[in-house]
Amino acid sequence: MTDAEDALTDVVRAEWGRLVALLLKQFRRLDLVEDALGDAVEAASRTWPTDGVPTNPAAWLMTAARRRVLDRLRTEDVARRKQPLLLVDAEHHQEGARTMADAGHLVEDDVLRLVLMCAHPALAPEAASALSLRLVLGVPTADIARLFLVPEPTMAARITRAKKRIVGAGIPFAVPDAGALPDRLETVAQTAYLTFTAGYSPGTGPDLLRADQSGEAIRLVRVVLGLCPDEPALVALLALMLLQHSRRDARICDGRLVLLADQDRTRWHHDEVAEATRLLARPRLAGPLTPLAASYVLQARIAAEHATAPSAEETRWDRVVGLYDVLLQVAPTPSARLARAVAVAEQHGPAAGLDALEGLEVPESHRPAAVRAELLSRAGDVDAARAAYDQAIAACRNEVETAFLLAQRDALPSA
Amino acid sequence: MRYLVLLMDDGAEKVWTEQTPEEQAATMAKFGEFDAACAARDGVEILAGEALAGPEAATTVRTRDGRVQVTDGPYAEAVEGMGGFYLVQAPDLDGLLELLRVLPAYDIQVSPAVDMG
Repeated sequence: MTDAEDALTDVVRAEWGRLVALLLKQFRRLDLVEDALGDAVEAASRTWPTDGVPTNPAAWLMTAARRRVLDRLRTEDVARRKQPLLLVDAEHHQEGARTMADAGHLVEDDVLRLVLMCAHPALAPEAASALSLRLVLGVPTADIARLFLVPEPTMAARITRAKKRIVGAGIPFAVPDAGALPDRLETVAQTAYLTFTAGYSPGTGPDLLRADQSGEAIRLVRVVLGLCPDEPALVALLALMLLQHSRRDARICDGRLVLLADQDRTRWHHDEVAEATRLLARPRLAGPLTPLAASYVLQARIAAEHATAPSAEETRWDRVVGLYDVLLQVAPTPSARLARAVAVAEQHGPAAGLDALEGLEVPESHRPAAVRAELLSRAGDVDAARAAYDQAIAACRNEVETAFLLAQRDALPSA
Repeated sequence: MRYLVLLMDDGAEKVWTEQTPEEQAATMAKFGEFDAACAARDGVEILAGEALAGPEAATTVRTRDGRVQVTDGPYAEAVEGMGGFYLVQAPDLDGLLELLRVLPAYDIQVSPAVDMG
C-alpha cells in the first residue's frame, strides 16, 4: 500500500463518524451525507497518490463532501426539496445535555448524537446495528451484508429504510436530557452486542466466526466509551467482548471448531484479557447496577474465570457455577441455564449436569441437544448420546459446527 | 412535527370499568398531569384530544368495487380497545415519548402527520 492509501484508510477509519455528524448537522439530509462522503473518499483515492496527501486529510474530505452535497441540492427537483429534514438540535435538549458536562469533559458531542440516533429504541435492532456500523464507523455496506448473512442489495435497502424511518418518525439528532441518557446508552450497548454476536457465532453458513466484524463492534463500544467513559453497561460490555474476542485465534484449527477445554491458551490474546480485567476492577461496577449492566458484568466475570485459568483442568468451576447462579437471578435466559448446566457437569459430573439440563429448550437451537449428547456420552449412555447427537445435527445450521457434531457422534463407541 | 397519539389498549392499566372510584380518579389525574407537562414544555402543544366511545359504538366504512360497505364495529379486533387520541405538536419523537410517560400505562401508537404545506 502507498503512503497515500494508508493515510486515506487511517483518516476514514478515525474520522468517518465525526464527518458524517458534521455534515448531518449542517445539511440535515440523512439521505445525501453518506454518498457525498463516499464520493469524497473515492476522489481522494484518485488524487492523493499524485497530488500528495493534504496537510489536514479530514478537512480535505469534509470540503469535498460538502461540495458534493451542495451539487446535489442544486440539481434537486422541487418535490425532493420539500421532503422533511432530519430534526437537529432541538432547543429543549440543550440544557439537559449541558448538565452532563463533568470535570472539563463536555459530553454533548456530535458523534454522540450520531451514535444515539443510529441506535434509537424506535429502530429495529438489526437496523440500528447496520446503521451504526455504516454511519458511525464507515464499514462498507457489502461488509455489513456479509456480517448479517444477507445479499448486499438487501442490506443497502435495509439501511435506506432505516434512514427514511429516522426522518419520517422524527427521531432527532440530539442528546436527550441527562435523566434519559443512561437508558439510551443501554440501547447503544445492546446494539453493539448484537453486532458482536452476529460476527462471533453466526448460526448459518460456512464460517464459524468473522472476527474482523466482531472487532468492529468492539470499536463501536470504544467510540461511545470515549464519549461517556464511565457508563457501567458499556464498560462491562467492552470487558465481555474483549474476553470472548481474545480467544478468536484458538477457536478454529484447520477450519474445525476447537472447544474451550482443548484450545491452545498461548494463542489467546492476553493483552485483551488484561485490559478486560482492568475494566472489571473499576469501582463503578461494584455499585448498584441496572439489570442489563449487571448481566454484562456477570457474563464478563465468568469469561474472566476461563481466561485467567492456567489450564482447563484448573478452571474454578465452583466460582463459575456461583456466578451463573447470580446471573440466572438477574437474567434468567435459556442460554444462561444451558451454560450453567455445562459448568455444573464440570464441577459435579455429567449426571448433575444432565439434571440441570432437565426441561431446558432453546427454540431453533441445536445447543441443548449438543450439550446433552456430550454429557450422556461422558456418563456412558452411548445410545442416548447418539440419539441426542442426531437431534443436534438435524437442528444445526452452521457447517463448521455440524462437522464437529458429526465427528463427535462417529467417535462414540459402537453399541 | 405533529403526531397522532392513539391510546390503543389498556395495556398495563386495569380496564376502566373495573377500576375503583379512587383508581379512576388517579387515572384521570394522569391526563391532567399530561396536559400540564405538555403546556410546560417549549414547542409542545396539544392540538386536539378526545376520549372515544367503545367498540360497540364504532362503525367501519369500506369501499370495494366502487360500493361503500358500512359495517358494525371497529376496523379490526386489534383496535377494539382504542380509548382516545391526542394530536400533539412536538419538536421530535424523543420529546414526545418522554411526555407520554406521564399518561396511564396504555399501549400507544404514535404516527407523525405528513406536512402537506
